[in-house]
Amino acid sequence: MALTRRQLLKYSGLGLLGAVVFAGCRIPDREFIAESPVMIPEDLVYGDDHYFATLARPNTGVESVLVRVMQGRAKKIEGNPDYPMSRGKHSAQAEAVLQELYHPDRIATPLRRVGDRGAGEFESISWDEALDELAARLNDHLVNPDTIALITGPLRGTLGTVVSQFADNYQLRRYAFEAVDQTAVRTVFNRMYGQDRLPTFDVQNAHYVLSFGADFLSHWHAPLHYNWHYGEFRGETGGRGKLVQIEPRFSLTAANADRWVYANPGTEGVLAMAMAKVILDSREGNPDGMAALRETIEFNALPMETVEEITGVKAGVIETLAHDFAANQPGVAIGGGLAAAQTNGLFNMTAVYMLNALVGSVGKKGGVIFNPPAPIPNVVSSAATNPLMDFQRLADDFRGNRINAVLVRGVDPAYGTPGSMQFGRAMRENVPFIASFSNFMDETTLLADLVLPDMATLEAWGDDVPEPGPGYEAGALQQPVVMPFVEGRAFGDVLLALVDDLGGRTTIKLPWANIQEAVRAEAQELWIKNRGSVQQFSNFEEFWVAILQRGGWWDTNATAPAPQAPDLSADPGKALPAFSGGASTYPFHLLPFPSHSMGDGSDAHLPWLQATPDPITTAVWSTWVEVNPRDADALDIREGDVVTVESAQGAIEAQVYVNPATAPGTVSVPMGQGHSSFGRYAEGVGSNVMEVLDAVSDETTGAFAWGATRVRIEKTGRRERVRKFEGMVVAQTLPHRTVYEISTGNGGGAH
Amino acid sequence: MAVDADKCTGCQACVVACQSENNIPINEPDHFLQRRAIQWIRIERYWEGEFPDVKARFVPMLCQHCENAPCESVCPVFATYHNNEGLNVQVYNRCIGTRFCANNDPWNVRFFNFWEPVWPEPLRNQLNTDVTVRSRGIMEKCPFCIQRIRRTTRDAGIEGREVEDGDVVPACVQSCPTNALVFGDLNDSSSQVAHLREDGRQYRILDHLGTEPSVHYLAKIDPYAASEGEHA
Repeated sequence: MALTRRQLLKYSGLGLLGAVVFAGCRIPDREFIAESPVMIPEDLVYGDDHYFATLARPNTGVESVLVRVMQGRAKKIEGNPDYPMSRGKHSAQAEAVLQELYHPDRIATPLRRVGDRGAGEFESISWDEALDELAARLNDHLVNPDTIALITGPLRGTLGTVVSQFADNYQLRRYAFEAVDQTAVRTVFNRMYGQDRLPTFDVQNAHYVLSFGADFLSHWHAPLHYNWHYGEFRGETGGRGKLVQIEPRFSLTAANADRWVYANPGTEGVLAMAMAKVILDSREGNPDGMAALRETIEFNALPMETVEEITGVKAGVIETLAHDFAANQPGVAIGGGLAAAQTNGLFNMTAVYMLNALVGSVGKKGGVIFNPPAPIPNVVSSAATNPLMDFQRLADDFRGNRINAVLVRGVDPAYGTPGSMQFGRAMRENVPFIASFSNFMDETTLLADLVLPDMATLEAWGDDVPEPGPGYEAGALQQPVVMPFVEGRAFGDVLLALVDDLGGRTTIKLPWANIQEAVRAEAQELWIKNRGSVQQFSNFEEFWVAILQRGGWWDTNATAPAPQAPDLSADPGKALPAFSGGASTYPFHLLPFPSHSMGDGSDAHLPWLQATPDPITTAVWSTWVEVNPRDADALDIREGDVVTVESAQGAIEAQVYVNPATAPGTVSVPMGQGHSSFGRYAEGVGSNVMEVLDAVSDETTGAFAWGATRVRIEKTGRRERVRKFEGMVVAQTLPHRTVYEISTGNGGGAH
Repeated sequence: MAVDADKCTGCQACVVACQSENNIPINEPDHFLQRRAIQWIRIERYWEGEFPDVKARFVPMLCQHCENAPCESVCPVFATYHNNEGLNVQVYNRCIGTRFCANNDPWNVRFFNFWEPVWPEPLRNQLNTDVTVRSRGIMEKCPFCIQRIRRTTRDAGIEGREVEDGDVVPACVQSCPTNALVFGDLNDSSSQVAHLREDGRQYRILDHLGTEPSVHYLAKIDPYAASEGEHA
């Protein structure tokens, strides 16, 4: 019987099954895959996404980023692949800038204080009322402009220009605040080479990096940029470079170094000078460098036995490192961090940076690269800040009733200055009018009479001249990528609007209506130059769109002129450090450090960063004190014990973390916690190490010597488990490699 | 994926990038104390020795996407399965929360949602619309940013071309400042990740279990360990 098509379907029941039966020998692949019958979630996306280039401004510095925006909401921050300082990469801190935009505790409207100062009682007011009040209060005091202090963070680019011109016009006192300032490094490059801008250390092309205290992989200068450099430095091309980290604390950079050398706190300069002497004596340096520096080295270098005693580093090690550094050129010596944060910080930095001149690596590939200033005159390209000494004097002026008004924007000096300075208290009790331009109710904003919410970074216009830069002219642009989420106004726009209200007293009128106009005006000058990464546009509007799309402008040909011979005529100050607190009462050197994720605490309000484990201890959401195991035994303390860390200036509580890498006689505490006011994720978490630090500074520069306090540790008798990642999962055992050493002994795998 | 331990600095950029891309709940303080924090990729830190001869090693750890994944075979409802690209993926709306997979996962890279995730308003605005928010009572894990793989595949299809090496970039790889993380198709012998697999430093973690992990590690180089005998 002939089988008709209709009969076949009848017998086989279903058309589809029939097809399978007849396909016979091969079952389609998809039959093996257990798939949900509905569309899987990642296919169910409604709406279009767009990417905009702009800037993120986390505590680790400014980064050029691309923001993915979907239906008017910012969703993801990614590195800008075009921009030379980002190269498509971004840091954990930049990612978290999203949470600043949509933070539940963001200040939504201008506020006027109604209760006692510092009590946190405010009423919501309109922007018109706020601006009227601000103008009226400033007009009251402008007869004596020296009684008005304008405090901002370090500002570069157009906003830096606007703020400087505003302060100059009205002859206000202008302060730039940074809890961990770079004054010592800046001073050295200014003195030795006449540079106003921080140089770039060309780690990627170096064969040998000798770092004295500069934790450039975590929190020093431009960590994202230097992490990228480090990846290249470890790359196959050109061989694998060697990194030696010299510092008393086992930092993230020390953990990644091929060799970590402990040196007693504050003795890095003596050590560097001894290494310079070794290079000089063995004639291994650059002839010009040796000739220029001979006198200084001969004068300052101490006998090797003395150096051994002072630094705690054996002569053999010093000699080996010196010979290695001289032999493995190009190489670069970098100094900063704890080495600069001493009473002899300037001497330390001078000695360290001399090493580069000695081996001839200044201005060379793989060495120290200078950055030219911004291509447009008057645009601020250096984010220098005031040293701590200036803020001590300001606090004294508060107490002496010499300040009538304080305008503070985006910084928290009431939290970020040493407790003994009583900066916040002096401000609260003595300053008649305080206005804060802030998105969050931090400790300084809490003292304000008038709170003017700023715009979040992703809502505002702006620009930046990267510092350190890529070694050539570069600028990055910031554009709003979302509509303002609350009723904030950009700080620069408010200042420019104030010019009309205070207009009678200006000598030079700021010509722009708002920051956007100011940024465009500067872009216009770039367009006229017609060179660099975006050029040959006949029409400015097209050029403007093009630089906004690329996130900035740079010109690889516009490098800095060749460096001059180093000038070492200025006195670098004392060679040896002084410490606050006697060794018998306070037996431990306190080595504070900026938190890896939250820095000096300015990002402590962001939950992603609070929950990001510290790379070394893996601790989160807390303040801990790192103690050497033998010291812990001697003090009869163990992990989780709550202890007081006490100096002559104050005491805080912290949980003990017994760290096998902490040197005996030292303890380390991260900065950034202990906020009494800064939103739900920061308040009440940990302690503020600034309360313990003595307000001592480098004698010459006035920079904060935050590594110069000695402390003692006392048990409180309480014990709490440390919030940390370590121990959450079972440790793996890393395989032992014969060629490439990863040892598994000595506690390896004790994750 | 290939992970070059010699380049990883432990900077945590990948950790936060992953949390942002994949709508991972905020790890609140108590979550760490209860050992219930969720990190699809994490940086493990291993100590070697004690001061002054001490080293810390960083190992990024994420789902190893094993060829013979022990977590897949125990799922009673096929919520976790091996897809035809070799990924070990999870269908969240099928999971019933037996946690058998976590039990059978030697790397501890599968996470159970003990709580309904909470993002106080307006923090929810940041959530990635490409990725499901997982509710309480189900497992979750790293799918190698499958949403990005799909997007790239779809875009390449629209453009009428094949997906090329380097086109697909998971969030962690994208952020990694040192390029320690490299993602690609191991079946494509010309891909960067296939070359790295042949490197002399290559190893796989818990390789002896025979699960054939798809994440290949390149060992840390330590020029001082062998030459100066600083370590045991």
